[in-house]
Amino acid sequence: MIVLQGVSKTYEGFTALSNVSVSIARGEFAFLIGTNGAGKTTLLRVLLREETFDQGVVLVNGVDISTIRGAALTKFRRKIGMVFQDTRLLPNATVSENVGLPLKVRGRSNRDVSMAVAEVLERVDLSEKAPRFPRQLSGGEQRKVALARAIISRPEILLCDEPTDSINPLHAREIIELLLDINAEGVTTLVATHDSEIVNDLRRRVIRMDAGSVLEDMAVGVFNTS
Amino acid sequence: MRTSLYSLRYVLGSAANGLWRNRTMSVGAVITTTIMLITLAAFLAINDTLNQMVSALGRKSNLIAYIRDDARPSDVTRIIRDLQGRSGVAEVVFVTKEDALRIFQERFTDQADVIDILQANPLPASVELRMENPAVLPSLADELRELSDTFETVVVPLDVVERLIAVSNVSRVAGTVMVIALTGVTLFVVVNTIRVAVYARRQEIEIMKLVGATDWFVRGPFVIEGAFIGVFGATMAAGAMLVLYAQVGPSITQIISFLPINTNVDYVRSLALFIVLVGLVVGSIGSYFSVRRYLAI
Repeated sequence: MIVLQGVSKTYEGFTALSNVSVSIARGEFAFLIGTNGAGKTTLLRVLLREETFDQGVVLVNGVDISTIRGAALTKFRRKIGMVFQDTRLLPNATVSENVGLPLKVRGRSNRDVSMAVAEVLERVDLSEKAPRFPRQLSGGEQRKVALARAIISRPEILLCDEPTDSINPLHAREIIELLLDINAEGVTTLVATHDSEIVNDLRRRVIRMDAGSVLEDMAVGVFNTS
Repeated sequence: MRTSLYSLRYVLGSAANGLWRNRTMSVGAVITTTIMLITLAAFLAINDTLNQMVSALGRKSNLIAYIRDDARPSDVTRIIRDLQGRSGVAEVVFVTKEDALRIFQERFTDQADVIDILQANPLPASVELRMENPAVLPSLADELRELSDTFETVVVPLDVVERLIAVSNVSRVAGTVMVIALTGVTLFVVVNTIRVAVYARRQEIEIMKLVGATDWFVRGPFVIEGAFIGVFGATMAAGAMLVLYAQVGPSITQIISFLPINTNVDYVRSLALFIVLVGLVVGSIGSYFSVRRYLAI
């Protein structure tokens, strides 16, 4: 369960989040939509505790994340998988190494990591790309690698920032289907996007943001409601 | 336990990978470390030579205490033993009346008959002190002057001693200041070189933190890489220094024979070891602190 109550965040005078209150149930799938600068990315970064916030409360499974420090923060992040908008794949690491990183940092053995990497790469249909470096992949493949890295540790919450941005419709569809599959396994999934076609097709919960505020929260939403 | 071993293996492997994959940066950091540590080693050697030179000059300064003819031999023996145990005293020489006469005759051959005219040896026996540390000479002289039952006069070349003490103090203070400053500069340059290398990989650090890595897990490979860069650079510096000492040292000692350059094998080895230790410490600490700012995420 994710609960945000009156959360605000400013960057040097720019309001990134303004009094945001929203709840997402365990296992729910929700889209965050809005134009550039609406606050979608900031909200996801706040949930990962990559960013702090100025006001309000954020509870994840009942825990106020603003109070988490040190080892507890590490433990908290291990419950979350994140697909970054810019993928943030390590350029000098292979696909396998990138995908296996969350397990490596947990101190898992090479054998365990290899098996998990093989399994998750098969799931995202990139097994043959395992020894490649990110620069040798297409944009869509890079996003799939980022998704594989986010799910390899079987997180409770999956946060995706524009996972289908700037990739061809086929790859976009594959990624969304993967996200639905993962959500069907009980993973709370929050997807920030401005891909209207996908949002309109899926008819899931839509949280519309603008200028840092939540404008609409629709249980079964479409992109162009205004 | 098993998890820790896997983590340790990962940290070591990651350090090796980091060094290889960022080899241009690594080589740059090693070269910088080598140059800075060669400079530090050279300065330490020069500073040591200067200190040796001052000590050597100090050893040439003497105190001469002339013994009364009626002094008790047992008192003289006791005082000599006492002086031999004093710190700062390099050598105590007892010159008998006969020795003094012989020395006089050798030095003043044209006046040798003066003694014949006197028909007795007027020269007193004496105790001569050669100093390790000339700074203690004035107080020692005062102490001996108080033993008026034994010593007639105590002669100290005070002006020379004072100059030596001044030179020695300046040399020591300047040397210490320079060594500290140069060590600081070395630390600064090496740390900044490592910081540049770490900066180039800040995204990697951020990602590791965001996927749930502990600080130790992120920092470990960087500290090991830094230690390797430091030790490798220092080993090259120490190697260059050993070669220089072996190849050029003897020639320099011959050409500038008045300079007491320390070519003692133990000294050179300990200097080389010290440089390697400095490299290890600077490399590890440099990496530790360079990574720290990116861990605050």
